[in-house]
Amino acid sequence: MSKASIAHDTERLAGVLRETAARVEPRRDPAVLVDDVLAGVTDSFFGADSPIGTVYVAFGPDGVRHLAPAATEEEFARRYRERFGRFVVHGVRAQVLEEKVAAALAGEQVEVPLDLSLTTPFQRRVLEIVKGIACGEVRPYAWVAHEAGSSGASRAVGNVMANNPIPLIVPCHRVVRNDGHTGNYAFGADTKVRLLELEGVSPQEIAGSPYVATPTTGIVCHATCRNARRIQPENRLRFRSLRAATEAGYRPCKVCRPAAAA
Amino acid sequence: MKTRARRQEWTAGHDPLAARLADGDPEAPRDLVERHYSELYRYAFSVLRDERAAEDAVQDAFERALGALGRYSEGRLRAMRLRPWMYRITLNVARNRLRRRREVPLQEVAAISSNDEDREGVMDVLAALEKLPEKQRVAVTLRHFQDLPYAEISGVTGWPEATAKTLVRRGLERLRKMIIFDDSKGGDPA
Repeated sequence: MSKASIAHDTERLAGVLRETAARVEPRRDPAVLVDDVLAGVTDSFFGADSPIGTVYVAFGPDGVRHLAPAATEEEFARRYRERFGRFVVHGVRAQVLEEKVAAALAGEQVEVPLDLSLTTPFQRRVLEIVKGIACGEVRPYAWVAHEAGSSGASRAVGNVMANNPIPLIVPCHRVVRNDGHTGNYAFGADTKVRLLELEGVSPQEIAGSPYVATPTTGIVCHATCRNARRIQPENRLRFRSLRAATEAGYRPCKVCRPAAAA
Repeated sequence: MKTRARRQEWTAGHDPLAARLADGDPEAPRDLVERHYSELYRYAFSVLRDERAAEDAVQDAFERALGALGRYSEGRLRAMRLRPWMYRITLNVARNRLRRRREVPLQEVAAISSNDEDREGVMDVLAALEKLPEKQRVAVTLRHFQDLPYAEISGVTGWPEATAKTLVRRGLERLRKMIIFDDSKGGDPA
């Protein structure tokens, strides 16, 4: 075989490979394949109105993973990646979830599915407790620590609150200092006061006297406990600490379960 | 397939998509997958010769890639040359899967037994490619099946360009001996 003919055949072979390549295509719809890829390794997100302005909500198949205010979608996506090491995309539409989140942010009592798998077990326990604090009520850090099975871990609870991945929906603004003062908030102490006032809580009233007891029943409650709010004004006895109340002969309410700061 | 002009833009070492990923553009991850899906699928198919297996391999490669990129610093992400990197991951995934399959022989490599004449031609070419020594197969596939320029082949494999050229030449010579052009019928080679 001549050299020229070998070169010719080799060139032809390259042509055959190129033609063959052009015939290899995925059988399934490429859009579906792309969606499959993204569903496996990215999270989706959407924007929502909230009392602190526009927030963005990222979610996975099991529920909401993160909520944060941001000026733009890009800012939210960038911070989300920095914090969780994952990309967010305009992925699957989750109309039901969007409606639930919107309702929750508007102050309605709805159960929003949360995915706390990106948090530590302690954070998860704390966030689950805080999630259950009803609108219109507040609880001290020490109480949250006690309920989470870590009495005395008020500061650790404070850290979890400061890094709460899902603020507003996990209402960390309803967790206040052990003396009843509202304390700090990731979005500013003023914002915390404003959010609580929106929910019908009077921060000034609770500051310094977070417990309320009544001689008619001999029971002491958190000042915002739904039972405490029914006490007639003339029967309201304010206490600075649970200890002061128990020493005065009052027993802790079984609904709001006040717990002494360790 | 993207046009050549478009491709040049992001093979030159500056990939706008890497910057968009770093900037938090929420369309960027989808664009990355859309941009490379077909070519990576084609590569995976050339190795695994099965649709399902090729889809799985590409899915796996993208999951690894996006998982890793998600954890990169902004600066590192921005400087990424995504295409050769995506290829490297796909090459590894495809090779590992092929190895695993050889250990546990697949019952009658699925979907190859199609009556489609077109398909048979494709399968014959791929079967011939598979008989090449590993490096020659990779070089020939990247150059003539994937249409990558030598600079990119070098970026994917880490071989100097001259080495890649030699491997392609030797691979084609060997293939030429395997695939006999039947000019008497004046038809397609088979």
